[in-house]
Amino acid sequence: MRTCITVARKELHDHLRDIRSLGSTVLYALMGPVVVGVVSLSPAASGPRGSYILFSMASVFVLVAAFTGGMNVAMDVTAGERERRSLVPLLLNRASWQEILVGKWIAVSIFAVGGLTVTLAGFALVLAKDAPEPPAAPAPELFAWMSLGLLPLAFMGAALQLLIATRCRSTKEAQSWLMVAVFVPMVAGMGIVFFPGWTDRWWMIMPIVGQQVMIAGSLTGNGVSLLAGLTLAGTSAACTIAALLAGSVGLNQDDVLAD
Amino acid sequence: MIEIQQLHKRFGHVTAVNGLSFTASDGAITGLLGANGAGKTTALGMICGLLAPDSGAVSVGGASSGRDRRSLIGALLDHQGLYPRLTARENIAYFGELQGLSRPALGRRVRELVSALGLDELADRRVEGFSRGERLKVALGRALVHAPQHLVLDEPTNGLDVASIHSLRGLLRRLREEGRCVVFSSHVLDQVAALCDSVVIMARGRLVARGSVEALCTQAGAATLEDAFMALTSREA
Repeated sequence: MRTCITVARKELHDHLRDIRSLGSTVLYALMGPVVVGVVSLSPAASGPRGSYILFSMASVFVLVAAFTGGMNVAMDVTAGERERRSLVPLLLNRASWQEILVGKWIAVSIFAVGGLTVTLAGFALVLAKDAPEPPAAPAPELFAWMSLGLLPLAFMGAALQLLIATRCRSTKEAQSWLMVAVFVPMVAGMGIVFFPGWTDRWWMIMPIVGQQVMIAGSLTGNGVSLLAGLTLAGTSAACTIAALLAGSVGLNQDDVLAD
Repeated sequence: MIEIQQLHKRFGHVTAVNGLSFTASDGAITGLLGANGAGKTTALGMICGLLAPDSGAVSVGGASSGRDRRSLIGALLDHQGLYPRLTARENIAYFGELQGLSRPALGRRVRELVSALGLDELADRRVEGFSRGERLKVALGRALVHAPQHLVLDEPTNGLDVASIHSLRGLLRRLREEGRCVVFSSHVLDQVAALCDSVVIMARGRLVARGSVEALCTQAGAATLEDAFMALTSREA
């Protein structure tokens, strides 16, 4: 565990100095609140129907934010290591690749949660000011539901991004794949908005889709049970562990030396 | 001491190392010579525990598992990438932490290395913008931070200026005097002749000859190491 903490601390320290990457992460995180804020000014966004549209849009942007907050870091700590030829020295330490990967995952997760927090803070400001109706749940309850749904999603997103980026040889290649991967939560979120009954039976075992249902439900007053929320957190955690395991066994060291 | 016996490694249909055996002693510099593609980097990768051999055995200071070997070796392979947003001192310290050094020991060791490598003025600058020679010094510090008994270097002088090569030679001689086992690969024969106590010549993944520079010249009936290298490797071809 000490090695994991060492790696995580180094990555945090390193990437907090990357002003360009931090700036782009914050801009991405604020994109959703800005878009929803602009839409909320439209007369079409007034009344209960308008609230539904705004909250649905917000929940899609929140889902995407769970993936974009750590994306730059995920690219740099894996494909970036290969590109600048620092991966081999890292693997020449007595630390195992598994420990190193978990350390990197901790760092990416922290950035993902940071990005998510910026997005949520932005929505809190925008929706408190401009939404025609406030969210159905009181703030502490809303915060608890958001945490239960979104923290496991951010951790899972970080693990999936690392899994993809460890297979890439350059940050450019990783960027191409991760930008495509961001569409997954977006498509899942839009699917729920346009086909609300689509996931009635199985949403709680389906990460991303489940989080969308939870967020939209807690905003609009169609709450979900605690058991369902915990089940969803459990399946998200299982996906996280599976992605980390796949990432840790998938590094072909013959290939790395040949880079 | 580093001992390797009957190492074999294939990548697909290509045999990179084919039955390589040699010993590198403590208190000596062993040079690994070979043309491009001779299998030097692959052999060093297996010694360092980065690559798993298809067959054969590697022992480093008596340790045979990859993880144990990695803690006993300081390695500087062709991949010398540093973290550009970290300072020279932070780059070295990070690897010391990964090698399990305690905080007080790490601080002491990094100070020693910064001084020994002549990095005092650069130590607290971010490494982005460092010259190649300066980067090599930081990478060497990173490889030496846990005071390994064994040092493995893969063509470390590539692209360096005369002053940096001179400084590196001095460092390697000091390490030999301290009783450490140094293995380095090169295709710059003058450097090998000037530094190495023992030379291993490889061609097409095989051992062609080994011994002191004088012994190799005698074996090949040549006046210089370059002539001996050409004579011995052309026999293999």
